Amino acid sequence: MSVVVGILARALTMSTPLLYGSLSEVVAERSGMMVTAIEGIFLIGAWGGFVGTYLWGSALYGILLAMGLGVVVAAVYAFVTVTMRQHQVVTGTALNILVAGLCTYFQRVLFGIPTSPLKIERLPQLAIPLLSDIPILGEVFFNQNILTYIMYAIIPLIYFVLFRTSTGLAIRSTGENPVASDVAGISVNFVRYMTVLFSGLMGGVAGAFYSIGFLGMFTAGIIGGRGWIAFAICFLGNWHPFGAVVGTLVFGLAESISIYMQSLGGAGFLPNEFFIALPYILTIVLTVSRRNFKVPAKLGVPYVKEGG
Amino acid sequence: MREEVKGNWSEIEIRNVSKYFARVVANKDVNFTIRKGEVLALLGENGAGKSTIMKILYGLYQADEGSILFDGKEERIANPKDAMRFGIGMIQQHFSLVFAHTVTENVILGAMRGIIPYAKAKEQVESLASRYGFDVDADALVGDLDVGVQQKVEIIKALFKQTTLLIMDEPTAVLTPQEADQLMEFVRQFVADGHAVVFITHKMKEVMEIADRIIVMRDGRISGDLRKEDTNEAELSRLMIGRDIVAPEKVDFEGRDHGQLGLIVENLSLSRGKVKLLDDIDFHLRPGEVLGIAGVSGNGQEELCETICGIRAFDSGSIVLDGVDLSELSLREHIDQGIGYVPVDRHRDAMIGSMSLAENIYLKFSTHDDWNRHGLIDANNLRQKTLESIEDFDIRAPGPDVPAGNLSGGNQQKLILAREMRLAKKLLILNQPTRGLDLGAINNIHTTVLQARAEGLPVLLISTELSEIFALSDRIAVMYKGRFMGIFLPRELNTERIGLLMAGIVPDDLAHVADEEIRAEVV
Repeated sequence: MSVVVGILARALTMSTPLLYGSLSEVVAERSGMMVTAIEGIFLIGAWGGFVGTYLWGSALYGILLAMGLGVVVAAVYAFVTVTMRQHQVVTGTALNILVAGLCTYFQRVLFGIPTSPLKIERLPQLAIPLLSDIPILGEVFFNQNILTYIMYAIIPLIYFVLFRTSTGLAIRSTGENPVASDVAGISVNFVRYMTVLFSGLMGGVAGAFYSIGFLGMFTAGIIGGRGWIAFAICFLGNWHPFGAVVGTLVFGLAESISIYMQSLGGAGFLPNEFFIALPYILTIVLTVSRRNFKVPAKLGVPYVKEGG
Repeated sequence: MREEVKGNWSEIEIRNVSKYFARVVANKDVNFTIRKGEVLALLGENGAGKSTIMKILYGLYQADEGSILFDGKEERIANPKDAMRFGIGMIQQHFSLVFAHTVTENVILGAMRGIIPYAKAKEQVESLASRYGFDVDADALVGDLDVGVQQKVEIIKALFKQTTLLIMDEPTAVLTPQEADQLMEFVRQFVADGHAVVFITHKMKEVMEIADRIIVMRDGRISGDLRKEDTNEAELSRLMIGRDIVAPEKVDFEGRDHGQLGLIVENLSLSRGKVKLLDDIDFHLRPGEVLGIAGVSGNGQEELCETICGIRAFDSGSIVLDGVDLSELSLREHIDQGIGYVPVDRHRDAMIGSMSLAENIYLKFSTHDDWNRHGLIDANNLRQKTLESIEDFDIRAPGPDVPAGNLSGGNQQKLILAREMRLAKKLLILNQPTRGLDLGAINNIHTTVLQARAEGLPVLLISTELSEIFALSDRIAVMYKGRFMGIFLPRELNTERIGLLMAGIVPDDLAHVADEEIRAEVV
């Protein structure tokens, strides 16, 4: 029993960063922007989280630095794709490679090559009084770190903004038909910049989660494609916040099982490596099997104002 | 929460406005006044600069010279938001609606701040709709609505923003004649309420029907500013065109017996999900005949063309051309059968703007032996043939090697027509061949169509311009929701009857003739 509860609790923990990433991706893609730089944003967030915490001794500084660096990468991405109207996939891929190099480079500049990996203190698990005493549910939901609790609030908030406010209507209209937004007096480029910068902010936190909230250190491979998984979850969840929640829980569970099985060293005929690959296999299988996408009509298409 | 609108001006003066796009003069020294309580018509051919000057007023473009004055006070309109603040609303020729959203969501876009009170917004939309007698469901998805209803959504959108000047760009282009009448009714009521309307059009008839004052534009300049009482269609036409155009003459169709020659389409059906795109279509198009297909666009015209040309598969029925069953043939074999096809959207389906005239012509002949030598493009031959086409079709181009995208719309269309006429040995299909062209080019294309007819080619002509249908067709079919509402002789139809048919209603006095068998006998 406690094994199952442990797996479920860890599933929720592992879902948290994916949800930060995929929710922000939902917001951005609803405005027509694929943030393909998300893997790089995750990575620089993880690095920023580590550096901020290590140098200034507080996870808060780490998270702030992660958000700041995430926004910087997102701003570069937005400038190239929105203002310069360059291809989103190409731009994102280039930025991801650049960020990977930058993180490794500055990691060495700052810390050299230490004989043993530099460690930081991980975010503590905060048991919520009373609620955490509920059998099973308490252990799974209310004995998590602060970022997971914040996530609980972010889910309904994003849903509300997207579907109940003028801001959300402007975002959704911009992704479906930017001309409609434009003639209604809404600046398409402004909306798109904002959603991408928001993605940078959220992606930075997601990245920081891996260094501060999970591993307690930084390695070059810390993200290992999880930015792309968050990206895929946005598709799988049909560009809806609740769809993204379901998607991240599935992947969180897969990761949690994977971690548990690795700790056992594999299970019977299935080798350890199978469980390491599990989340990635799941990404491919689910992406291929999904049908009937409600893709925002102008996703990935730069807006060129006619005549101007 | 709504923003305050300062729409209580009594006149707007456009003073000496000029606008240049790269090398082209779009507007030059344009001067006129818009007054409350008046319908102002902006009349001119395509490319005369009517839309441009209104887009400047609406803040979509910035004028390079000149100014805009509200009751004598100069104001800057930097974007549509500024325009809306002065109570200016504009309905674009291509609607700017979000198909995936509801009517209410579309209406309130950009007009509300903060948390949206959906129930209240819906009520406001419904009350606006009922005030002007619009039958619009506030919860419907816009993409599910007919074009005519979508236009009403656009109007409600403008009204919701407390518009006092409504600019409409070619608003009747997508409407049935009856819907157009309703629109005119709305315009009159709106102006009677003390508001102003600018009506952009190239149709003389509409101008004479609705306008109080008429601004005629030609080549970006104003060529006339008249009150309707002081002018007539002849004068307007002269001001608008500035040159003489001789309409091509049409000889009557001889109802010869061609047996099974020509195009025979039987029981042709095609569905996508539950929607019937083509519904049991039957007709026999004979050599030397033009069959005009009228209807509001989006009622299956494009699907019909594409199934005949082999671009799209169909569910059931048969298509036979000169005795050859086309259904088993590949797309390439369709082309080789001698079918010429001018699609509705040339940029999407017919040409590659960055490639040269010659290359665009070659595209459809790349597998023909006499266009190639030893497996390579026969460049000299291609150049020769392109020059021939340029000559024969009066294509205004510097040479065969310039990118096709550099030509004007009319010349691009002539280029495509030249290519398709080379291919069309047995059948010519034209889908809205003159859409968006100026009168000179339209005239050219009409001449070509009648020439093809005279040479004995069967011609299928799809058009939303009723005048074009009546001018060129030997018989007229009306399409509604993928169905033929009947095939008629031009003399059996008038604007009212064809309008009803376009809306899916068979007028009582036509019920007995809406049948292909009878048509064959009549002819």
